[in-house]
Amino acid sequence: MAITFNQVSYEYDANSMWSQAALQGVNLHLESGILAGVAGATGSGKSTLLQMFNGILKPTSGTVQVLDITLKGGEKAPKLHQLRKRVGLVFQFPEQQLFEDTVEKDLCFGPINFGYSLEEAKDRARRAMEQMGLDLSLLSRNPFQLSGGQMRKVAIASVLTMDPEILVLDEPTATLDPVSRAELIQLLHRLCREDGRTVIIVTHRMDELLPFANQWIVLHEGLTVFQGTVKALIEQADRMESYGITIPQSIRYWRSLSEKFGWSEEDPCLSAEAMSKRIAHLVNSEDV
Amino acid sequence: MKQHDLKEPHYTPDATESTSQSSDVIPGPGYPAIELVGVSYGYGKDLPVIDDISLSIPQGQWVTLVGANGCGKSTLVKLMNALLSKGEGSIMVKGKELQSDTIGDIRKAIGMVFQNPDNQFIGATVEEDIVFGLEGQCLSIEVMEERVNSYAEKLGITELLDKHPSELSGGQKQRVAIASILSMEPEIVIFDEASSMLDERTRNDLLNILSDMHKSGRYTIISITHDAQEIAASERVLVLHEGKLIADRTPTDLFQDEKILEMSHLIAPFAFQLTTALHRYGVDISIPNCEKELTEALWPLHSIK
Repeated sequence: MAITFNQVSYEYDANSMWSQAALQGVNLHLESGILAGVAGATGSGKSTLLQMFNGILKPTSGTVQVLDITLKGGEKAPKLHQLRKRVGLVFQFPEQQLFEDTVEKDLCFGPINFGYSLEEAKDRARRAMEQMGLDLSLLSRNPFQLSGGQMRKVAIASVLTMDPEILVLDEPTATLDPVSRAELIQLLHRLCREDGRTVIIVTHRMDELLPFANQWIVLHEGLTVFQGTVKALIEQADRMESYGITIPQSIRYWRSLSEKFGWSEEDPCLSAEAMSKRIAHLVNSEDV
Repeated sequence: MKQHDLKEPHYTPDATESTSQSSDVIPGPGYPAIELVGVSYGYGKDLPVIDDISLSIPQGQWVTLVGANGCGKSTLVKLMNALLSKGEGSIMVKGKELQSDTIGDIRKAIGMVFQNPDNQFIGATVEEDIVFGLEGQCLSIEVMEERVNSYAEKLGITELLDKHPSELSGGQKQRVAIASILSMEPEIVIFDEASSMLDERTRNDLLNILSDMHKSGRYTIISITHDAQEIAASERVLVLHEGKLIADRTPTDLFQDEKILEMSHLIAPFAFQLTTALHRYGVDISIPNCEKELTEALWPLHSIK
């Protein structure tokens, strides 16, 4: 089990009279090596949850277990150095954190800080570039002269240089154009599928993640109101609207089709390609 | 706003036909708000960013401008109000040729909203920020007060007037930026990727503002965007590629042209993607407006046999 939350609550300014609960009794189980999507309206606690995954925020009460490290509310936290290395966090608009004058220096900053030699750091930088599908010739470029999509990928690569077992991203595709968005999601999917990393993505756009995510978590006002597979999510789609979540078109179409043609036991086909193949099968199989 | 309120864009298949009017029509609804003839522009000598573009946008139309990054979209709209000095060709705004003695009037007629509202704030409060543009137009205090209040109300930011811009959320900032522009009462409003920094919900809010503006009939809207919903809601799409105007269509036509979509880095709404894929599998149905229409179209194909 990569991550387990047991009755986790978090309050901002916990000891003052202005304390504000951001998470209230969250339960969560995420296996290693999956790709999970986290959805929820603005203010539902997504960003708070995310910052608990590598101990930036510690639970006010309850137990957070990430890999083999346990954080208990009200107790002194263990040393978090290892956890920070093993869980990579990518915040919103990560390109705003770029600061060096070359891409390579920017990528080496993390590894060197964690005590690696310059050689090792450069090696890790190159590997991370490849993982994000970036050309190595960009290493000597100034990061601020790259396109928006490239900057975003470099920023994510800078987290990958630490070779984290768990990668958590807060709206990684925001403001990118649709083609760059799809490309980035595919790269992240590959990090999960080929390298066996656990990838957790917070998103406002469920549709782009639907064909790839094995697990979904839906937050509403600091509570996990849903955790499960896409199939389970589809069954409960009606509830999602009340949590301020827009039901993706692909789910609407699949639901309607499966009700009409009795496909509800099947694995959902949510990409246009998969869905049309299923429809073609329906229409053509009865040709004969 | 809920999804189902939006899934039926107002497609107007004949929108493009009404644009081919001659330039000597008497001003009235539908007369050209903007006309470009043979407009070219380059930052360097051999690098044309805008290459021989001619087009006409009638008053009141809602036009989307699309294209991959670096294709010249922002350059083109900046030429329209002389934020970039003119290269070759002629630009007419509301029947007036753009030249040094008309720039003042033309800039008054065109308002622009940019991607990042932060770059547009100058006032210490929201109210001051709106007033700044009005002071520039030398309006009386009474008129300014009236404008601030009425546009703040229209955009739902009345309770924010005393706040510092940094206290606002991204969506609120964009509303304030729009209120500042609309309070100057421009007839043409250009949105340059105004929705790309916004999250799903505030993006819907912006879409509603655009729709309301369009329905009021007072504005000619030109919007640069990648957002499929926003494109679908507009009347006409102009596609730029490497500085050239390569297509001028309705959103419905655009979303069915895979080649143009790819060239302009766009992805069609799901219903279009599905229909295109179905055609490849030999299932011939027309684009459904909603999921019910799809199942109804498929039912006879399925049950006849």
